[in-house]
Amino acid sequence: MNHLIQGKMFVIDQSRCIGCEACVQSCEECGTHRGQSLIHLEFVDRGASTQTAPMVCMHCEDPTCANVCPADAIKQNEDGVVQSALKPRCIGCSNCVNACPFGVPKYFALPDQMMKCDMCYDRTSVGLAPMCASVCPSQALWFGAPEEFAETRRGDLIHEYRFGNQLVPTKVATVVDDRTFGPIDVMGEPGGQRWQDDPFGLEEV
Amino acid sequence: MEEPTAVERHASGSGNSAQRRSPKVIRTGTGGLDVRAAVWGFAAVIVVLVGVYVGSGNLRWFDAALAGYLIGVLLAVFATVYRYLVWIQRPPTAVLNRRGWESFRRKGKVGANVGGLIGLVFTNIFAQGFIRRRSVARWAAHQLVFWGCILAAAVTFPLTFGWLHFESVGQEGSHYRAFLFGISTASFPAESLIGFVTFHLLNIAAFLVIGGVLVFLHRRLRDPGALAVERATDFLPLAGLFAVSITGLFLTVSSLWLEGRYYSFLTDLHALTVILGLLYIPFGKLFHIFQRPANLGVHYYKQAGAEGEQQLCRVCDEPWASKMQIDDLKFVLPQVGFDYAHEGSSNWQDTCPSCRRKSIALAQTQRVGGFG
Repeated sequence: MNHLIQGKMFVIDQSRCIGCEACVQSCEECGTHRGQSLIHLEFVDRGASTQTAPMVCMHCEDPTCANVCPADAIKQNEDGVVQSALKPRCIGCSNCVNACPFGVPKYFALPDQMMKCDMCYDRTSVGLAPMCASVCPSQALWFGAPEEFAETRRGDLIHEYRFGNQLVPTKVATVVDDRTFGPIDVMGEPGGQRWQDDPFGLEEV
Repeated sequence: MEEPTAVERHASGSGNSAQRRSPKVIRTGTGGLDVRAAVWGFAAVIVVLVGVYVGSGNLRWFDAALAGYLIGVLLAVFATVYRYLVWIQRPPTAVLNRRGWESFRRKGKVGANVGGLIGLVFTNIFAQGFIRRRSVARWAAHQLVFWGCILAAAVTFPLTFGWLHFESVGQEGSHYRAFLFGISTASFPAESLIGFVTFHLLNIAAFLVIGGVLVFLHRRLRDPGALAVERATDFLPLAGLFAVSITGLFLTVSSLWLEGRYYSFLTDLHALTVILGLLYIPFGKLFHIFQRPANLGVHYYKQAGAEGEQQLCRVCDEPWASKMQIDDLKFVLPQVGFDYAHEGSSNWQDTCPSCRRKSIALAQTQRVGGFG
């Protein structure tokens, strides 16, 4: 899969999120879904921490949402971007909302249809950053050329997640310290210390 | 080289095949003729032909000049039935189709559901309130095109089938009488308002459709979001509807103001646009006319789901969706090549969307040594 669009890539690094919600506000400004914020911002463990984490569509190589859509309403374009539901076709069943492994599509009751992040295709198709990445102050959401990432950021980029038996390759990249450990295994046993045990690394030697 | 589709990738087993189960049902769209769908398509064509024969008084009232239109209708009927049946065999569509009807026929709910259906057909199919809540301009445009097409179909189909014809009353040409299925109905003076409206129904329909098409076109040419994602196939139905309407209006122009000049050529041109338009319906964007009513089934599916057992999240233990729908998804996913099971006992699909996002964030941060 081509991970680039107009020579640039979209990178998400939830660990950098500072919870400013600029992405939530700016998402509404996207031309393809004006007035509707489609990004998700989660409090990771609300009772114990103020830590937040964003989630955008990862634009799967083989999108689960499109495969479970009974109306054939979700299409992937030639850039590998998985687009929002085609309005004439979407019948509002929420299969995609429930099946997306990343929990991305949103169902809107009044127009009775699903909408999802389309990587601000009005912008990224001409080389501009998606709205969320254009305002993210901590670069938890980042858009740029691979060489720019290599020069300014640390860590490896990875495009694969594992959910149980299912491997999900994505167009959007995420950051890990070392990609040789393989895909991000979401259901696997957490290796090492849980971050809540020592959130600021004070006990590290 | 063209990229393989999602289904082709499953079929060929390429791309992480080790992680995926073999799909039980593969429909590539190129796997040859679907015999069952073709038989139903032919059956529908025969029903129309019998309807034409009987309804036109054994072809007595059938207008041979409209035979081209009838052939266009028959081809469109066959292709629409064929595509519809292929469509509802796709695993997620088949499950939804079955569940929708099951939910509709639930014990003790049939009466209320039938009653509710009338309201749903009015609000969702005729009034299309869901489009109005998206954009008033789009709703107005859609209503213009929708009612324009309904009006045109209500006039042209009965005329083409020989179900409707007009005769002058007695020896005078000043009065006309409409015959439906050969049965005499009201007569009216040709020069009256009723006569004018009756003989210009298709012109009225053409103005409605053109009005709607222009609003749609304005959006497609001006809206930045639409410009980014639209395709040539979004313009094709607009071009087709415009072509049918404008060539239809040309016939009236020729007849009223050009003393019938070019009428024969314009008749052929109009017939060509209509027949091509009919043939486009099953293959293009306008097929949503037949897909969209599935939304009514979704209404009953959701209602039954909300009243039934709820799915608890495997992480937060909170109810988040209908268990029936999640079970249906876990039935469909392996058929389309996905396996979200984990160590035999749990399934990622049992996780609520919010916990999915949190778990992903936690898994990612584990790989970079925590937050911050």
